[in-house]
Amino acid sequence: MLKKILLIEDDKFLRELMNKKLLTMGYDVVCAADGESGLVAIKDSKPDVVLLDLILPGMNGFEVLEKAKKDPETAKVPVVILSNLGQSEDIEKGLKLGAKDFLVKAHFTPQEIVTKLKAIIE
Amino acid sequence: MYEEVSNFKETKEETLRRVRVALLNILEDTEESRKEAVDEKNKTMAIIENLTDGILLLNRKNEIEIISPPVVDFLRREKEEVIGKNAFEFFSGEDFKPFREKLIDEEKKKIKQLFRQEISIGERLDLEVTTVLLKDEAKDKGVLIIFHDVTRDKLVERMKTEFVSISAHQLRTPLSAIKWTLRMVLDGDTGKLNDEQQELLEKTYVSNERMISLINDLLNVSRIEEGRFLYKQEPGKLEDVINAVVNSSQELLKMKKIILKMNLSQDIPLVNIDKEKMELAVQNLLENAAKYTPEGGSIDISLEKHEAEVVFKIKDTGVGIPETEHERIFTKFFRGENVIKMETEGSGLGLYTTRNIIDAHRGKIWFESKEGEGTTFFFSLPFAKQTLTA
Repeated sequence: MLKKILLIEDDKFLRELMNKKLLTMGYDVVCAADGESGLVAIKDSKPDVVLLDLILPGMNGFEVLEKAKKDPETAKVPVVILSNLGQSEDIEKGLKLGAKDFLVKAHFTPQEIVTKLKAIIE
Repeated sequence: MYEEVSNFKETKEETLRRVRVALLNILEDTEESRKEAVDEKNKTMAIIENLTDGILLLNRKNEIEIISPPVVDFLRREKEEVIGKNAFEFFSGEDFKPFREKLIDEEKKKIKQLFRQEISIGERLDLEVTTVLLKDEAKDKGVLIIFHDVTRDKLVERMKTEFVSISAHQLRTPLSAIKWTLRMVLDGDTGKLNDEQQELLEKTYVSNERMISLINDLLNVSRIEEGRFLYKQEPGKLEDVINAVVNSSQELLKMKKIILKMNLSQDIPLVNIDKEKMELAVQNLLENAAKYTPEGGSIDISLEKHEAEVVFKIKDTGVGIPETEHERIFTKFFRGENVIKMETEGSGLGLYTTRNIIDAHRGKIWFESKEGEGTTFFFSLPFAKQTLTA
């Protein structure tokens, strides 16, 4: 069965690019454009890993992460933060809340991101 | 007989007069001492009343004896409502919860010993509080509580963090889109490119990368602060910092085919460091060494234990610093003349920031250099003391 990746990203273009890359690499992709629907999608689609943006309309990524980790049903789903925030406070906060990794978008190519995800899924 | 009596009388009178003079002298001295004491008290009160820091003085029974005007503001109580009150009772009010929690040791029923601890009263007020136990020989004489208002500092700090956070995010998002698109096109995800297309887009990609790193530099808070302020200073291993920096610089070294040799001696004592800042300092030195060393050159990094300090050394086989410019090397915006001709990028802030960081750590930084042969930078940091001031 194809491994499933949930992509929570509000920027349409970035979402499309990442979606395309993940599909090319042979993953099943589910997308969400804001925090609320992202949180629902973590529950409903049971992804193998979540790629989570932080600055999102409505509920932000930190809240999504916190809620997902509190819910026993979704607590075990690995979450990788993919954001353009990147100050040490943000990184610390993200990892403390239980993120597997914190990737700054501008510092990674799509290929590098996929490699990171692959390592986590397998 | 008469004579004797009169003699006796005179002696008595004499004595009385002497006693009176002595008494008057004593009285005068006392009056003088009293005046002096009053003067001293007035002076002390004038100092206390006019200090920008707030002062609260408790006597031996923990009753509030002195409250200075800033504290009246901080507590939002009139002076008359406070003076003479027992501090424990006074701070038991609901609106003084943050004070009570920080100041009072409920178990031992006494004021805690504090040094620059933060008390935050909602959005309104941030204070740094220090308590000093007043003693003479064996007796406790009370407690001095000093409040330093840091509300403005905190506000500016928050605004700065927010500004950096938001601008970094806003600027990076479109650049990420460009980076990702270019990379995917270059990697052939959208079909094969001809050589010319490949080459042009490759160059665009490099330009975009430069923009990203420029924004990183521009929005690096440590750089904005020029390395002057340390936040989290704790005993740590300088080796760890060096290893982290070296690991993240592998690409740069590989690109310039530079051979890096590391010689970190064993059992280096801990030093008090702000890890993030120290990484920036080491990174600046390593980047400089790599940038100004021609392809195929070498860089030696070593770490040694000296008598009371740890000495870091980084030696390159680069272009060196012209003798005439040695004095100005750590000044802001300085760039070597020989280096400007090489057309390498540089802001002239690296060594300036690095020196500030080392200074803030109470360390020393220096260098030796010969144009055309290379440069060696050194810095030393004192060993971390066993006992840390809280």
